[in-house]
Amino acid sequence: MVIEQYTITTTPKYNFPQPTIDTTLPQRFLEQSIRSLKQVQPQRFQLNQQPFQQYNTYEQHPSHLRLNHTPITLKANHQETTIAAVDTSTIKIGETATGIIIAIRGATTWKQSRRYHYTRLGPFIFHITEENKNEVYNTLEKAYFNTYYNSNRSASPHLTQMPTRLASLLERWLQIILAKTVSHGLILFDGSLTSGTFDTPVQRMKEILSLARKNKNIVLAFSKMTSLRVNGYLITEQLPKHEPPYLLETTGLRFKSPMIPLGDVYVARLNKAKYAFRLDIDRETPLQQRMTAIEKLLGNDLYMQGYPETLRLSHILCTFTANEVLAIKHFITRKHGIQIINRPDMHKLLFGPFGKGEIYS
Amino acid sequence: MKLYKKEGTILQILSFSNENAEKGDYLLVEDPDARKALIAQVIDVQFASIPGVLEELLRTLPDGGVPIQGEDIDPLEIAPHITYIQDASLLVCKIRATLENEMISPSSSWLPSRSQSTIRKLSVPMLMKLANVEGTRPIILGGTKDSSLLTIDAASLDGRLNIITGKKECGKSHLSKLLMVSLIGYKATVVIFDLNGEYSSIGMTADGKRNLHYHKIHALTPSQNFKVALKQLHLNVVMGILIHALHLPGTSAREFRRIWKTLKDQGDLTLSALGEAIRNLNCNQHVRDALTSRYHAIVNSGFFTDNLAEATLLEESLLKSKEEGGAIVINLRNTSTIDRQILVEYVLGKLVDSLQSWKLKAVFLFAEEAHLYLRETYWDDIVTRMRHFGIFTTFITNQPDTIRESIYRQADNIFLFNFTNEHDLDVVSRAARVDAETVRSIARDLPLHHCLTLGKVVRDFPIVARVRTLDVKTMGETRLFFKDKN
Repeated sequence: MVIEQYTITTTPKYNFPQPTIDTTLPQRFLEQSIRSLKQVQPQRFQLNQQPFQQYNTYEQHPSHLRLNHTPITLKANHQETTIAAVDTSTIKIGETATGIIIAIRGATTWKQSRRYHYTRLGPFIFHITEENKNEVYNTLEKAYFNTYYNSNRSASPHLTQMPTRLASLLERWLQIILAKTVSHGLILFDGSLTSGTFDTPVQRMKEILSLARKNKNIVLAFSKMTSLRVNGYLITEQLPKHEPPYLLETTGLRFKSPMIPLGDVYVARLNKAKYAFRLDIDRETPLQQRMTAIEKLLGNDLYMQGYPETLRLSHILCTFTANEVLAIKHFITRKHGIQIINRPDMHKLLFGPFGKGEIYS
Repeated sequence: MKLYKKEGTILQILSFSNENAEKGDYLLVEDPDARKALIAQVIDVQFASIPGVLEELLRTLPDGGVPIQGEDIDPLEIAPHITYIQDASLLVCKIRATLENEMISPSSSWLPSRSQSTIRKLSVPMLMKLANVEGTRPIILGGTKDSSLLTIDAASLDGRLNIITGKKECGKSHLSKLLMVSLIGYKATVVIFDLNGEYSSIGMTADGKRNLHYHKIHALTPSQNFKVALKQLHLNVVMGILIHALHLPGTSAREFRRIWKTLKDQGDLTLSALGEAIRNLNCNQHVRDALTSRYHAIVNSGFFTDNLAEATLLEESLLKSKEEGGAIVINLRNTSTIDRQILVEYVLGKLVDSLQSWKLKAVFLFAEEAHLYLRETYWDDIVTRMRHFGIFTTFITNQPDTIRESIYRQADNIFLFNFTNEHDLDVVSRAARVDAETVRSIARDLPLHHCLTLGKVVRDFPIVARVRTLDVKTMGETRLFFKDKN
């Protein structure tokens, strides 16, 4: 399989597949990370007082959506197929007087010859300020698309959105790497195939899907949570009394501009666990190939609560544990001399045990 | 290292993998503002409770129990920091003393600053210096973990009750030989009840040559070169043997006392005269039978003789030892239980006699597995009465529950080798000079030949040391069938 045919060139620090893919982005990530951390020196640093929040994208409500309650029955196809998945994670480590310190990490996982393998990239640590946020983002955008992010200041992302933006950049880059390097496989994305947001520009998503198709891959996007509703009920909670595995088809999915769905939406219940997930399949994929793809997924991957293990591993591997957050704090204190200060947590100060922090308020 | 918690006399200290603190190590927790420091000993090493560690470990094992194969591209090199945090340990320490103005006091009543205190390891030589352990008659016990020597003062064994205990084959006899040889070196008189005949050769080097102490070792083997004439015996010693070793009933004992006095008055205290007197005794048949059976037990022991020339060795040995120091090894190997008890009764009686009459200054008595020959009442005698006569006992045993609790409570020094059995550790932890946590935690993990020294010899600072080797011929090895066994 292509994944194991990378030509790896040793660099002083780490290996990246060199000839076939663009390695500019991770190098820029590293450069920007170090550069931004140097800017924080010798500022004092306020630990993040909120519970660790790992950001996810969310979707807008479409109209005219219909759900076909007739299940499309599936049968596991055990023909050996590479399953690959990608996920990224970001976390706010703390605040400085001028900005925030964040960490980003991505992971690709693939199942080949009945064994799981992974590549984990990061963590990259950034000090993002109002001053450097455009520079950081634009440098990475340029490394990725060779284009600048919208130079109009009013459209630039808010400081608090920067972690998700940077993580999305890394995620798209990892998706494109899989699309280029895997062939005749199934590529699993975390989330949907809806494009047109800052994080998922239409052109970028189209390119990824096109690359995947070029290599005979099929892209399947699983959403852990969905807000899509039919008749007021979530589509994943309208399951027929039918023996899984099966799919439910939806039709009439349309979003308000500029959002465009690049996949057809299904509800997938892949095993007897009572959970079903929104599944987006590349629209350009012929119907028969879609069903074969899902059946190959059933025959080649494991399922925990009806969710593909490869994708679950990607998520698990990129997620930051509390231990890692402590280690990152240790790193920035030791390597960059950032002194930790204890600024009072106003929520706790004012509300005592009721002060749970902003995200709950 | 960082001070985390103090509860009673227990300190919890956060330590990182590069700080290498282990069980038994001493730490100095210095509070610069208070100008005081706590001396604490690590009694347990635990993983620090780091949030997220469980998740971290779980995700390394998701693929059916086999570690998932993969590559981590970590350009900022955060992984060492993760390991550093993950491997952080919590040192559970027992506060031993407070150091203030270079003076040590046993207090632990003050609280050092958590943020300002500095914590560093305290080397054993420094601790010994602060505690003034070495004294003027040093005995090198062995090496500590930090490659220094653990030296105790021979004077701290003087007038003390000591216990050497640990499970078998961990080096108890070796340590007792080391203490013995060292005491002899300081001209002390040592008496050993040698159950397995392993001390007779401590005057020889490992390769069979005579060593420095050769002429100071007096090995006495009962019935061979160690006999005693009735004339040399005091009535109370004989009565002790009859009542305690041979269990002679009271009425018969009274008759025996009368016979003894008559024979003594006649100047005819011999075995044959005693036998004749019992045979001719005009008394109850049961009394005569009781006396006859004891008489035969005494005769059959082979330990008693009518020949005075054969019966002077113990006295001579004690006299020699008094001048230049020496060890009288009472070889109890190949003796029956009754004969062993007769011997011990005699030797202890003789020692008390010699000490009472100031023929001897004091005696260091080493008793291996004393429960096999020491009568019940002697346990209390040894820790109370005999100590005042000048008999300072060291018990050596691998069955700590055979030594009475009162002995542990009054023991001044304990040399503790490895024990894994909870019951054994429970027994030892009753000793007054040590806390149960230390015994339970440290003794369980002691490697072979390592000894936890507790008590006055180390000024109540428990110290672990590997007992040094001794160039003496070993006789206490287990006899094996498979000789080529590794």
